[in-house]
Amino acid sequence: MPCAGKLVAMIRLENVTKIYGSETVAVRDASFDIPKSQFVFLVGPSGSGKSTLLRLINRQEQPERGDVWVAGRNINDLPASRVPFLRRSMGNVFQDYKLLLNKTVFENVAFSLEVIGKPRHVIERQVPAVLDLVGLADKHGRFPEQLSGGEQQRVSIARAFVNRPLILLADEPTGNLDPTTSEGIMSLLDRINETGTTVVMATHDHRVVNSMRRRVIQMDHGVIVRDQERGVYE
Amino acid sequence: MFSRISYALRETWASFRRNLTLTAAAILTSAVSLLLVGTTFLIQRAFENLLVQWRGDVEMIVFVRSDASAEQIGLIDSVLRSSPTIIDVNKLLYLNKTESYEEAKRIFVGDPVTLSLLTPESIPTQFKVVPLSDDPQLVRSLSDQYRTLPGVEAVALAEDEFQVISTLSNFIRVVTLVMSLVLLAVAVGLIWNTIRTAMFARRREIEVMKLVGATNWFIRVPFMLEGLLQGLLGGVVSCGGLWALNSAWTNGVAGFKPGTGISSLVVPSSYLTSVMFILLGIGAVVGAVGSAIAATRFLDV
Repeated sequence: MPCAGKLVAMIRLENVTKIYGSETVAVRDASFDIPKSQFVFLVGPSGSGKSTLLRLINRQEQPERGDVWVAGRNINDLPASRVPFLRRSMGNVFQDYKLLLNKTVFENVAFSLEVIGKPRHVIERQVPAVLDLVGLADKHGRFPEQLSGGEQQRVSIARAFVNRPLILLADEPTGNLDPTTSEGIMSLLDRINETGTTVVMATHDHRVVNSMRRRVIQMDHGVIVRDQERGVYE
Repeated sequence: MFSRISYALRETWASFRRNLTLTAAAILTSAVSLLLVGTTFLIQRAFENLLVQWRGDVEMIVFVRSDASAEQIGLIDSVLRSSPTIIDVNKLLYLNKTESYEEAKRIFVGDPVTLSLLTPESIPTQFKVVPLSDDPQLVRSLSDQYRTLPGVEAVALAEDEFQVISTLSNFIRVVTLVMSLVLLAVAVGLIWNTIRTAMFARRREIEVMKLVGATNWFIRVPFMLEGLLQGLLGGVVSCGGLWALNSAWTNGVAGFKPGTGISSLVVPSSYLTSVMFILLGIGAVVGAVGSAIAATRFLDV
């Protein structure tokens, strides 16, 4: 595998197997290294284990076998009390945005800083900056339901990125969006990737994968069947 | 630090208002159960007043005339000590005028008229007698004998006076205690349920909080404060109720004929105050326990 060698990978999976219940194998013996600042697509049909891989990386799930390493640390032996601090180094973006409907754009983004105890003055500096980055500076007072799908996804990306995480995990971020809007979201993720943030995106959107030409890890029934630099969706 | 505290307080208050009906139910239940706990305390204390002169297995009191001479008192004492097989002479106790007057102040706490008729000079002194024998007939025959001694004013037997009240007070104590414990458990359950509902209503927020790396304690604290506040408010309401109940009772008792014993059944206001503090304490504990269980149990949303 390229780039592995002596460099510490940002994310490393070693022979990871995740079983739901007693027999549903979601991920079987998965291994890969993702170096810092890489942009990686996880592709494959629904139920192939893409989302489970993401949930293993932010420790919403723990594997039955194998190890997951993030930034040089084996997160399987991480005590539960340290998990929140692991998550502060990652941003999460979802297909359904997961925005809080009773909060404005500004408040949604500020919320993620507030609950990790950032002081007011930091919030007032960082939130407008990130809203500017995602192109929503003029809509900071709107509520999510007053925004289009693409705009809502931008808010959720702003929320994921406002704390400048090392890693951004995106689960089907364009799944609910039309092709034009998706393009905008992808260029935003690309820009975030250029700041040095490692991006792992699960998707089955052929068009997006084919236009970006980044590393592609393809899953099928929980097994990695392809790992290719500058790949396309097949 | 300040932003965390203000966050917790803001969230507590917001959640409090959102769930007004359930919150009110939880507060009222804890108030009623705490009121019952408080009433138990007061009843117990009131009966203690009535029974104070019979404390320590005393079954018989020999009252000595206030004008009895020292020789007469000595004679009574030696007669009492002459039946060591029936009377526990080691527990035989003589209360002089000062001590008897102190005791009378407690017995007649709610009966100032009777108390004013007594002075430390005119009050009868008394021998407290603890019998060794369980045979009431034996004790009764002794009492008849003592009545005839010079200087003896009267002989009182516990059996005649307060056996019934003592039994009654034990019964009432057990019943109210059991009832208040059951109600306290219900209050814990209701607060638990209120907090669970509040957490369920905000499960989306909690999910986001966990994903962006809020610690479990940060998420929990507002909910725990909410439960604590509910218990504490229940305590405050119960204190008001207890105060009203006690005032009504004390006023009512003052109208009874002096010397009936009922007038002993009041408590000093300093005792009422300490019971109120106890109720606030129990309320806070009930709220904290209920919400802590819920906040720990339902964090995995």
